[in-house]
Amino acid sequence: MTDTMLEARSVSKYFGGLKAVDSVDMSIPRGSIFGIIGPNGAGKTTFFNLCSGVYKPTSGRIVFAGEDITALAPEMIARRGIARTFQNIKLFKYMTVLENVKIGFHIRTRTGIASAMLHSQRYHDDEELAAGKGLDILRQVGLDSHKDTLASNLPYGLQRMVEIARALALDPKILLLDEPAAGMNPSETRDLSVFIKKLNVAGYTIAVIEHDMKFVMGTCDRILVLNFGKKICEGRPEQVRSDKGVNEAYFGKGMKDAIAARPGAAEGV
Amino acid sequence: MIDPSTSSAPGRMAPLPKWLKLSLCALGFAFLLALPRLCPQSYTMGVMCRIFMYALLAGSLNVINGYSGQFNIGHAGFYCVGAYCEAILATKLGLSFWIALPLAGVAAMLVGCIVAVPTLRLRGTYLAIVTLGASEIIRLIALNWDDFTGGPNGIKGIPAPLLGSFKISKAVDYYYIFLALAILFFFLTARVINSRVGRAWMSIREDEAAARSLGVEASRYKAANFMYGAFWAGIAGGAFAPYFKYISSDMFSLDEGFNILSMVIIGGQGTLIGPVVGAVIVNFLTEVLRPVSQYRSVAYAILIIVMMWVRPQGLVGASNSVLAERRLGRHRGKATHGGAK
Amino acid sequence: MDYYLSQLINGICQGSIYALMAIGFSVVFGVVGLVTFTHGEVIMIGAFAAFYAFELVGTNLLIGIVASFAASAMIGVFVYKVCYERFLDAPEYISLICTIGVSMLLKSLAQIIFGPNNKPMLDVVPNHFFGWGVVGITLIQIIVIATVAMVSALLYFFLNRTRWGIMLRAVSQDRKAAALMGINVKRMILTGNCIGCGLGGVAGMLLAVYYQTLVATMGGSAGMKAFAAAVLGGLSDVPCAALGGLLLGIIENLGITFSSASFRDIFAFVFLLIVLLIKPEGFAHKKGARA
Repeated sequence: MTDTMLEARSVSKYFGGLKAVDSVDMSIPRGSIFGIIGPNGAGKTTFFNLCSGVYKPTSGRIVFAGEDITALAPEMIARRGIARTFQNIKLFKYMTVLENVKIGFHIRTRTGIASAMLHSQRYHDDEELAAGKGLDILRQVGLDSHKDTLASNLPYGLQRMVEIARALALDPKILLLDEPAAGMNPSETRDLSVFIKKLNVAGYTIAVIEHDMKFVMGTCDRILVLNFGKKICEGRPEQVRSDKGVNEAYFGKGMKDAIAARPGAAEGV
Repeated sequence: MIDPSTSSAPGRMAPLPKWLKLSLCALGFAFLLALPRLCPQSYTMGVMCRIFMYALLAGSLNVINGYSGQFNIGHAGFYCVGAYCEAILATKLGLSFWIALPLAGVAAMLVGCIVAVPTLRLRGTYLAIVTLGASEIIRLIALNWDDFTGGPNGIKGIPAPLLGSFKISKAVDYYYIFLALAILFFFLTARVINSRVGRAWMSIREDEAAARSLGVEASRYKAANFMYGAFWAGIAGGAFAPYFKYISSDMFSLDEGFNILSMVIIGGQGTLIGPVVGAVIVNFLTEVLRPVSQYRSVAYAILIIVMMWVRPQGLVGASNSVLAERRLGRHRGKATHGGAK
Repeated sequence: MDYYLSQLINGICQGSIYALMAIGFSVVFGVVGLVTFTHGEVIMIGAFAAFYAFELVGTNLLIGIVASFAASAMIGVFVYKVCYERFLDAPEYISLICTIGVSMLLKSLAQIIFGPNNKPMLDVVPNHFFGWGVVGITLIQIIVIATVAMVSALLYFFLNRTRWGIMLRAVSQDRKAAALMGINVKRMILTGNCIGCGLGGVAGMLLAVYYQTLVATMGGSAGMKAFAAAVLGGLSDVPCAALGGLLLGIIENLGITFSSASFRDIFAFVFLLIVLLIKPEGFAHKKGARA
């Protein structure tokens, strides 16, 4: 058992001439909350897509819990224990919240066509699991009152929580969350940060792509910074905050002195 | 008893109280059982047999198009395989109907596998064209393989099923075979739809990328779905052959495929009751338009176009699904709550 | 050897008709961006339009070309209004099923109006045979190939040297950018569709002249062959579609020398399936994304 949950070794993704991800190394320690930040178009979502099997890297390897998963299909990667959410929220819009979460139990159940036709014991067990544990997860997330609401009828912030609940149904080892705070107001963002930390305490390793600096600095143990597909910096929040390259990427060269001159970096700004 | 409105699947109708549903089903079933005693005329029985058979054909096509969101317009091909398989096994090998029928289903299922597997990565429209091509190739093989399929003359004198020494030859008796097959199909299919398998299929239909990220093996489930639909179409064909006593390749043309497609489009996709409604409507129109039968296709064509304009999921199709979308990514449907499950 | 040679010539002639059918389909797909099932019926309508033009006006090939082009182009307007206009932003399968409906409609109406039987085509081109023994080429074949060549040249000129042609190509490459340039996208889609249908109509006339017969149900296999040929070029590349048509004609005619004539139609399907399974995007260079 390694201490590194998910690792990228010199991973690159080229789309024709465009280098979306350029030789990035990343190492997510087991049990950490890992942030990935960078300006728009830096390659963050592409990077997630590489880790979850949606894209195949042009070169490099992705290693999960010691196993090389580079060539695996997304459904196989999900089976290995990587669950993800999407930047644009890919909920099953016309299904209810509970139905969405039930799909998440697919890999934990085994009913096939024959068992379904015969209503075998396996079928009954699986239905109980999906409905029962599904409801548990919704309670955990605080959404059980919405279990029969159509997913698209929920406000944006709650839809994101449903997507996270659905990902939790996989009982994954690591959660990849793509911009979970997008569209949330400051109080919702704070609640999300608390929620993610609770999940982390419960044993999930979590990787988060986010733009909201306050959120990232206040939630993550380690941060990876990407720009133009390249890794600029990786380290603890304080290291990243004061890194020259990071400041240049976000603020351009002129602001360098202004940032350096600011009174000491306070936590949880 | 099959009960589509309590399914946990999206697209259910406004929920009726359970006692009402059960009573309606029991009543309907009793009525259907008694019908041959009430109206034994061969005309009525013939129409009912056709409705049951097309409910089976449309229903099996709906499993493919409506539940997994794939695009099959060559369903006549599987129907053809089933019919010819039964006919050949019965006439050339003397097999009993009760053995040849399931074999016909299996044969069609295997052909479904052959069509599905190489085409798994094809986008919707291309898959549609391939299914069309496959259906035509099957028909052309049936037309030209003289030794095996009788060529353009088809296969005559297909023996009637025997129950002991009783020959099930007249429509009024064969009625029960079609009724039993239709009920069996809907009962079993309802169970499959309301299970992990059905949920996997629907997740693929709604958003394949999301489904895959949740561990749903899209390719495997799409192929299994295709084979399931093909199997039942084969069963329909296998039951049709001894009923009609004669089959030839022109009964399984593309037009027949479009016929079956019309029933699914008009009646509804993505629900269990949709294809039944479609089968009833289309066959009803056939009878009503008998004096002007050339206008039949005109009627179906107009209905299909109107349905696409107004309600793409069909009359009683799944309103809570991507099938009901008229604009990419959006649809103005009534947002109903799901049934409890 | 002689037999194969004459089948090759038949193949080229038939292939050129298929090429024209495929070109028409390609133009429609390129501009509209949607697959249609109506092309077969459009071809059939062109054949009948030419037939009645010959009967009413006179057996002049030019009259036939104009009549078939015009009639099919007008059907194109109908197809556009019913199947495309309101579905440009809708899921693909909706307009596809609409085209299935329109194709069913046209086919049934044609059978009602023109009757379901084969009609002999009037003699438009005198029967001359230029050859050496068995091998040779008929005047009809020469005329067919020449007509296709001429129409293709006209299309090329139109698409590359006229303003409308350039606007059409712009719309087929990138709708949003074309709109930003002030091009009336909807009108271009309608125009492109009608031109593609018109070309199909001329192909229909040629089919009728070549086989000297026409029938209301000829659309089915014609449409399938047009599609099979066009797939070679990824559906939107016109020269590749033409090549596909020629190839299909040659394969078909050489193929039936090895099997029986009744297998003719199977070749188109097998050809189609092979291309779709090996390279569904076709063999042409991908143009810019259609927005």
